[in-house]
Amino acid sequence: MRDDRKSRTRAEERLVPDGVALSLQEAAAWDLFDVNVRVGPSGVHGELALEPAELLQEMDDFYIRSALVSHWAAEEYDAAIGDEALARIAEPRFTPAWGILPEASFIDALAVCKPLAVRITPGLRQHSFSLGRWCAGPMFEYLQDRSIVSLISRTDITWDEVAALLENFPRLPLVLLDTGYRADRYLFPLLDRFPSLHFDTATYLAHRQLESVVEQRGSGQLLFGSRLPLFTPASAIGVLASARIAEPDKRAIAGDNLRRLLAQAKARTGVQA
Amino acid sequence: MRSPIPVLDCHGHIGFHPDFPAYKADAESMLAVMDLMNIEKLAITSTLACYNDCPRGNAEIETVLRRHPDRFLGYVTVNPNPPGQGVEELERWSSFHHPPLIKLHPGLHKYPVHGEHYKPIWDYANEHEAIVLVHTWDSDPNCGPLLFPQIARTHPRARILLGHAGVTWRGYMQAVEAAKVAPNLFLDLAGSQHHRLILERCVDLIGAERILFGSDMPFLEASMTLAHVLTARIPDAGKEQILRHNFLSLLSR
Repeated sequence: MRDDRKSRTRAEERLVPDGVALSLQEAAAWDLFDVNVRVGPSGVHGELALEPAELLQEMDDFYIRSALVSHWAAEEYDAAIGDEALARIAEPRFTPAWGILPEASFIDALAVCKPLAVRITPGLRQHSFSLGRWCAGPMFEYLQDRSIVSLISRTDITWDEVAALLENFPRLPLVLLDTGYRADRYLFPLLDRFPSLHFDTATYLAHRQLESVVEQRGSGQLLFGSRLPLFTPASAIGVLASARIAEPDKRAIAGDNLRRLLAQAKARTGVQA
Repeated sequence: MRSPIPVLDCHGHIGFHPDFPAYKADAESMLAVMDLMNIEKLAITSTLACYNDCPRGNAEIETVLRRHPDRFLGYVTVNPNPPGQGVEELERWSSFHHPPLIKLHPGLHKYPVHGEHYKPIWDYANEHEAIVLVHTWDSDPNCGPLLFPQIARTHPRARILLGHAGVTWRGYMQAVEAAKVAPNLFLDLAGSQHHRLILERCVDLIGAERILFGSDMPFLEASMTLAHVLTARIPDAGKEQILRHNFLSLLSR
């Protein structure tokens, strides 16, 4: 006979103690799909970095079923080496968000993997390239043509660069990560103009901000992100759990929107669902 | 999501902010959110005072306290400039709470927390055994956590809450280092960077009795900090201290 106690996750055991109890448990019903996760050793965040098994345990603890995962090495060191490390993980709960560079040879090599998602790191202290057509035009044509989910942290580019990128590639499924809570005066005009733009919840943390944006604009362009392994997922889950919005909106943010984007990429790249 | 025990929240505001739109920031809307999460009381400071005008801002606090005396506690927010105004404001609004709750924002007021103009305010806080919530930020020359041990030692009767606990991972470690050497320094958890493992580390290094729940409502979302505390890998007794008992103890002294 199955031992129910042993089959519970550590989260269920920890979150329902005798004293202070918490109900993030409603997240168990959301089929959480985290858009903002990195794995592997980090030269900057070594203390917090997680190897794949540790990351899975952390996801279990917070009811996160799936994650779009990139490798720290692809961001901090070499995109190809990071992608190789990511490929070796081969964990079915992880969808790779590959590192990518604008060189044609890099794109050709990456195409063999039939990528569904990439994490673009163009910053001066990362891979140092412009998002303009003159520099990365073919790369973005490739991503746009295949509806590949394209993650960029807002901390790596300016709002004007986001606008210019979307003006050049309006069908690119761009996911802006780490917008911060001071984003709205920049973000809302872009969301109005570009339905292909999405953003994640990891740092969208002002008072009643998520709830209000859903009330005013709907939930279609919001994706759940935790920023694991740096932040505790509790924060982003807590914000979603406490939002006074309809359950279908919560599920859309929690994972359905990202699954929809990935399904589009699968359809365009010929990857079997 | 709701706290199983009534929360006493040491860090809140009334008002708007210049750099992004405020949502549901009036007192009644905040009360609804407090009820949602089981936040019994919220200690508020005027955002107007933090950014621009202390006398007018503190008057806003009085209005809210008069309307909702059972749900809000009021900080008197003071600015070291112009010199002398701070103590005038503290005396003007001395009815808000005993012991006094004082809010300092050296970051926005752009004056070092250990500077000469703050001295009369620290002396007042020491004399009245005030609870002083100070905005802090990692290594900031005006309000970095490492500036506080000296202030705390020379004003031992003041109870000083390191607002945001320095914010970043390094800022938290600075706040812990400060708290280790001065028993009247406490960490406030309000902030936008809830690093994994940070709360467990702080409890391990200085004990849960030195950490207070703060939301920064209606600037930041209270549920992110509440969820962080409730899911932390620390004993339940520590969570109860953080969510309620530590602030209650300071208020009751």
